[in-house]
Amino acid sequence: MMAGSRPIWIAMAVVMVIFLLSPIVLLVMFAFTTRGITNFPIEGLTLRWWGEMISHPQFGISFKNSMIVGLSVAVISAVVGTMAAMGLAAMPKQRANLYMSLLTLPVMLPSLVLAVALLSFFVSIGMKLGLWTVIVSHVLFTQPFVILIVHARMANFDYRIVESARDLGASPLTAFVTVTLPVIRPIVIGAALIALALSVDDFIITSFTIGSGNTLPTLVWGMIRTGLTPSVNAIGTLILVLTIGSSLIALRLTRYRG
Amino acid sequence: MTGRALPLVLTSPSAVIFAATFVAPFIYFFVISFWTVDYFDMVPGASLVNYREMAEKYVGVSVYTLWLSAVTALITVVAGFVYAFIARFKLPGYADLMIFVVLVTMFGGYLMKIYAWKTILGNEGVLNTALMAAGLINEPVSALLYSPGAVVVTLLHFGLPFAVLPIYASMRGIKDIEVEVAHDLGATASKTFTTIIVPRCRPGIVTAFSFAFLITAGDYITPLLVGGKQTLIGNLIAPQFGMQFNWPLGSAMSFVMLAISAVVILVFSRLMAWWCKI
Repeated sequence: MMAGSRPIWIAMAVVMVIFLLSPIVLLVMFAFTTRGITNFPIEGLTLRWWGEMISHPQFGISFKNSMIVGLSVAVISAVVGTMAAMGLAAMPKQRANLYMSLLTLPVMLPSLVLAVALLSFFVSIGMKLGLWTVIVSHVLFTQPFVILIVHARMANFDYRIVESARDLGASPLTAFVTVTLPVIRPIVIGAALIALALSVDDFIITSFTIGSGNTLPTLVWGMIRTGLTPSVNAIGTLILVLTIGSSLIALRLTRYRG
Repeated sequence: MTGRALPLVLTSPSAVIFAATFVAPFIYFFVISFWTVDYFDMVPGASLVNYREMAEKYVGVSVYTLWLSAVTALITVVAGFVYAFIARFKLPGYADLMIFVVLVTMFGGYLMKIYAWKTILGNEGVLNTALMAAGLINEPVSALLYSPGAVVVTLLHFGLPFAVLPIYASMRGIKDIEVEVAHDLGATASKTFTTIIVPRCRPGIVTAFSFAFLITAGDYITPLLVGGKQTLIGNLIAPQFGMQFNWPLGSAMSFVMLAISAVVILVFSRLMAWWCKI
């Protein structure tokens, strides 16, 4: 291709990057501007919407629920997912891949279908809807991410160090805790943070499986439906800080490069 | 607890969660699609009445959903391919940065992105007020919001990261030397593109298409926030589990939608395979 075509590629890349980032940037920007509506011109900066957000009667409990769900999902899927990844690493490759593609199936399906299937099932078996039903539902779609991330790391794990520990008399559990875990710890924490980000962001599955009560996204939904209030931008920015923040730390820890 | 049992024991918690929150719910959910509803009570049975109702009343919305999903998926795949192509082959120096932008966008929230597009495209929104301030238009263009175009743009924005990542992963498998050899042997740039680059990206392209198609086919929030009067099948499914309270019908609708999506994805995958062979 002609060497002179480079500016065209740069222009196309810039346009697409702007397309990707501008909604997020604008959302954050308008959480700090004085005019109540999200448009131009910008007249001044204020923290008023953040004050309104905090004084919203549902904000405190919604934030707490989001944190309870997100952290529980992160811990459960990290433990379950790491165990599964260790197990899969010791299995024949074909069977491990089959198992992983099976577990990834829920991620491919539309959230709405997952959500209504879970709702009808929970109700039919008499399970009371609440934070617990949200947590187990979230683990369903976060555990494949943890398994994939940790399993990828186990592929180039040096098993000789574990064998040495075993030869020296360590039990499998001791060998895991003292040898394997310290090596894979950043990966496991990174995977847990990805699970946290996915959980905090989820709206559709949460809204069907929570019964009554709110997390941050369902609170935002209620606010959007009852009219545009600028403090939606503040809560939205808070959700973004939680999800993008934890995933950025995760990407650093897992050294993910596309 | 050693030896051969250990891998199975380690994977069992994940298998139990999968069975309890996916396999069992979906079997139950499929079974109730053959049940009926009598005064807000589900009556077990083996009736096809819900599928018949679907075939009689909701063909229009299903076809529309199918069409919009296909349009969105194709645009998303092309845009995702172009983005990945630029990052991998045209501006490799900026590849890390470009993929970083994609990852940030991907984690930038589902509901908040749709809401952001509503504020961008509205009459009093960012785009209209910016264009008016710049003197390019005199009055707001109201067609920006509440149109099929707004739904496609919003879902393109949501789906693009999920399209770029698998395609880029495929492209990373193509070594520079392969492209150079093709060039040295006299292949034109377009020949290299169609005989090496596209075929090697086929798995990534099919994954990207599947994601983008299913995102649209199962969505109901985007039409509610930025779409017009025309709704998607998801907008009929969701209320069956709320106000309408007809789970069997909602279940039948879901399985018809999944079945149609599976057929479309299969056809697309076959077309790609056929196209890559010639």
